[in-house]
Amino acid sequence: MEIGFIGFGTMGRPMAEHLLRAGHRLHVWSRRAASTDFLVEQGVVRCDTPTEVARVADIVCTNVTGSADVEALAAELADGFAPGGIHIDFSTIAPSAARRIAAAYAARGVDFVDAPVSGGGVGAQNATLAIMWGGKSALTTRLAPIFACLGKTVVHVGESGAGQVAKACNQMVMVAAIEAAAEAARLANAAGVDFAKVREAMLSGSAGSKVLEVFGGRMATCDFAAGVEARLHHKDFALLMNEAVGLGVPLPVSSAVWQQLNALMAQDWGRQDTASLLRVLEIGR
Amino acid sequence: MNVGFIGLGLMGRPMALHLEKAGHTLHLWARRPESLAPFKDVNAKTHATPAEVAKHADVVVTMVADAPDVEAVCLGENGLASSGKKGLIIVDMSTIAPDAARRIGDRLEALGIDFVDAPVSGGEVGAINAALTIMAGGKAEAFETVKPLFEKMGKSATLIGDRGAGQVAKACNQILTGVGVLAVAEAFNFAAKSGVDPAKVREALLGGFAYSKILENHGQRMLDRNFKPGFKAWMHQKDLRIVMEEAHRLGLMLPSSAATAQVFNAMVGSGLGENDSIAALKLLEKMSTPE
Repeated sequence: MEIGFIGFGTMGRPMAEHLLRAGHRLHVWSRRAASTDFLVEQGVVRCDTPTEVARVADIVCTNVTGSADVEALAAELADGFAPGGIHIDFSTIAPSAARRIAAAYAARGVDFVDAPVSGGGVGAQNATLAIMWGGKSALTTRLAPIFACLGKTVVHVGESGAGQVAKACNQMVMVAAIEAAAEAARLANAAGVDFAKVREAMLSGSAGSKVLEVFGGRMATCDFAAGVEARLHHKDFALLMNEAVGLGVPLPVSSAVWQQLNALMAQDWGRQDTASLLRVLEIGR
Repeated sequence: MNVGFIGLGLMGRPMALHLEKAGHTLHLWARRPESLAPFKDVNAKTHATPAEVAKHADVVVTMVADAPDVEAVCLGENGLASSGKKGLIIVDMSTIAPDAARRIGDRLEALGIDFVDAPVSGGEVGAINAALTIMAGGKAEAFETVKPLFEKMGKSATLIGDRGAGQVAKACNQILTGVGVLAVAEAFNFAAKSGVDPAKVREALLGGFAYSKILENHGQRMLDRNFKPGFKAWMHQKDLRIVMEEAHRLGLMLPSSAATAQVFNAMVGSGLGENDSIAALKLLEKMSTPE
């Protein structure tokens, strides 16, 4: 298939390579041409504009940072797409932005799929991402071969924006669990008990979780190098807390976790792992 | 003085009328023509666009809902800035994010227009009685020029600092009033559920260190179960959103404000948005009573 790809960060790079290795022809664009050198060396075509990418590809994948980036790209892609084109956005953005973009495309007969992912850089490299997507269910067959190259769990959550709602829920549950692990580690450490042992004991019990395993592991070994850069979780919290305002939904735990993330940012730890929430609890110790 | 006024809602209408009564000539534009009805028989001229208002006015006051509205009125198509009028002073009395005020002000300054952010506290009653508290940010010179207007609309006007400083002060005001109202509601619900009369508790506390205007005034309205706004819960929710977004941007931990904002979310979500903020008490009562 002719596939366009834009956005070559920690997530985008390995994802693009998986698509290439699966035999798809890639057409890429990036603001800094150097970010696509690794693909051009493998025979991939570099386009001059996003519009050109949409002109030559049936499906264009994007993986960028914020709602504004995706909206700006979509405006340019729209001029290139033929009717029947699909824009799959893997970024984490506001559900309302995803719905807005989908509505703008609909007038041109182009489909927009919000398909945020969970699993981080490791998940992207191993093609084991969890993909949660929103859009028309009739697109399932056309999307399947692409998703199959990238992830191991693919769930069609609902209409446009539903993927982003699922991602918001994912971030909420995950970061709250990281904070819970951090608080447990802080309590254990303060009591003079080895958190590594506490974690080991908990892992096989009712409190066992992936977060306790991965992030708890980093806390136990004081390894705060990113994994997942905390600033990205911080960004996601602004999105989901704003969503809660719009819907009139109280999120008491999430709002408390958000404040811990704010404190983390104040320490300039945004490029470290979110396990650094433990260090926030150690401030002034 | 020729004063432009845009945003003739619950707050803006009485504020504009105070300025007219003081002898100023009003120049008005409104998105909805019916907002202009109360100005038919006073010294006010209506215009087709904000740009036309700017052409006729020395100072333009804006009192709208949120930052995108301020931006549209000031910098949008046919906006105030498109008049090309140098030396104009725009006084924005809406509550918007400090960051947005700085951004809009910077762009206007580049076009030769002065911008003063001057949000108010005191609600509709304060607007009607010309008893608003006005907190301003901007250049001292511009502030002095518009101060006589402030004196007709409010009982105090303070230049807090540079551009955005008025909005920072307003955000602080909303932290204190939001958390304060919730604290009083919690205390009253705690007393009542403990079988103690909240009215007696209030009376006793007013004489001590827990005294506050909120305990006195908002507390009394809670006891009277008078939930008519005042200041609507959904507006307080909006203001707390601004506070929390600013905290996010600055990397600031605001644990009490964050928790309070969630209660306001719940109020709006459960249909109490049009009530006064003190309806937080109703929410707490509902949450502490089996359905």
